[in-house]
Amino acid sequence: MAADKSNKKIARRDFINNTFRFSLVVGLGGLGGILSKNTLGTEMVWQLDASKCVQCGRCATDCVLTPSAVKLIHVYDMCGYCDLCGGYFRPEAKNRSTAAENQLCPTSAIERVFIEEPFFEYHIDKDLCIGCAKCMKGCGSFGNGSLQIQVNHDLCVNCNECSIARVCPSDAYVRVPANDPYLLKGFKGDGKKI
Amino acid sequence: MKFKQMKPKYILIPSVILLLVVLLFMAKDLFFTSEPDTKNPYEYDLTKFKEIDPDMVCYEEVMQLKPKTDYLYGISTDANYNLYVAGSGNILIYDVSGDLINTINVNDNAYCITVSETGQIYMGMADHVEIWNTDGEQLQSWNSMGEAAIFTSIAVNGNSVYVADAGNKVVYHYNQDGELQNKIGEKDTENGKLGFIIPSPYFDLLIGRDDELWIVNPGIHQFESYRSNGEMISSWKRTSMQLDGFSGCCNPSHIAMLSDGSFVTSEKGIERVKIHEPTGEFKCVVATPDQFIAGTTDLDLAVDSKDRIYVSDPKKGVVKVYDKVDGK
Repeated sequence: MAADKSNKKIARRDFINNTFRFSLVVGLGGLGGILSKNTLGTEMVWQLDASKCVQCGRCATDCVLTPSAVKLIHVYDMCGYCDLCGGYFRPEAKNRSTAAENQLCPTSAIERVFIEEPFFEYHIDKDLCIGCAKCMKGCGSFGNGSLQIQVNHDLCVNCNECSIARVCPSDAYVRVPANDPYLLKGFKGDGKKI
Repeated sequence: MKFKQMKPKYILIPSVILLLVVLLFMAKDLFFTSEPDTKNPYEYDLTKFKEIDPDMVCYEEVMQLKPKTDYLYGISTDANYNLYVAGSGNILIYDVSGDLINTINVNDNAYCITVSETGQIYMGMADHVEIWNTDGEQLQSWNSMGEAAIFTSIAVNGNSVYVADAGNKVVYHYNQDGELQNKIGEKDTENGKLGFIIPSPYFDLLIGRDDELWIVNPGIHQFESYRSNGEMISSWKRTSMQLDGFSGCCNPSHIAMLSDGSFVTSEKGIERVKIHEPTGEFKCVVATPDQFIAGTTDLDLAVDSKDRIYVSDPKKGVVKVYDKVDGK
């Protein structure tokens, strides 16, 4: 009987010790998990899904920054290097000269450079671009859609509640991981071969 | 020196008025919300380019077919007024009254289709050609033209089969055994040949009335005719945002030919179907932009021997049949 009692006491002590050890391991594990999540976890930022964009102009007018942090990106892989570029020329352009009256961009942020007959390359001056997406609509209507607006994360201040997302009529603004913050659409993602 | 003292009412009355004005402004801000200005100062507006004078329209829609398939890739007609629709993994055959008479299941999607005088169905399957009969039997399957190939149009003329490859920007001339005879329209800058300018996969061809091959060079809005050996015969181009021409990177996207040699054309960007004279002058409109959902592309065309025009509309999932308006 005495031996049994002694065994029970040891078992209780062991139980308490094990409980403390278990709590310590769980506590340290949890702390490590939280710390690693904070250190390695992905910060989320705002981005515009260009495939949903309806070119309402709000990206240009509603950003807290002036000019907007939304800028045009040219996906050169998709570009047709067109002479009559729908993203560069106004639909009612009188001719294909670079005169301001022929340009679609309200700030002349697109530069047209001759490559070889009949190809032209289009460069974006991001300091002039206001993110109005007018060229994106023109390129998408008549061309391949290689001109795409995106939130430029060199400029964006990543507001908790993005003022453009709040008014975007097509819910095109989404949260994306900061380490992969661009949502450019291309041929590969469209299901069709081109 | 003694100042004349202002009477209190001269101060009191303006102050009360001022206070009321301030209160009114505050009340407006607090209790009334004005609609936000939704007008887009940067709007890209094509409305006026899509407006067409009804007097310009020379065809009217007489029938609409709704093929049971996920996507309409291409259409063609045969000598018996049957319509062939290349859908998702199948070919649907309709008779002249619009009744489905046969469905052929194929191994993959046919991006383009044509029917020979002998009734064999020629299909461009992205990178190779397949020939089937109307009983649903595959007769031939030719070699692939590689990963980059995207076959967008096919035409048969006697022993020759012509295939437009938008990926490699060239037209292949095969014989009926699938042997490549020659390539047509290759870029040769040393000899001043620009080649085909194809920014997106819209590259159509057809056989003309004199057995010449007509190919669209969509990047420069040009129609080019060739002999089977690749020698160019003639060309015409119309670059314009107006109704009389073509605009954008790759128009016309599809073509067909009427019995008088006129060209039927469809476009992307401004969704419309028009007719141009054999020399290129604009003639009239078949289908106006308001008949399509904005952004519709892939408006494939076919013409039967009665000059009825068939237009496939993949966005609505229908094939529209147009006939001439009397007197136009």
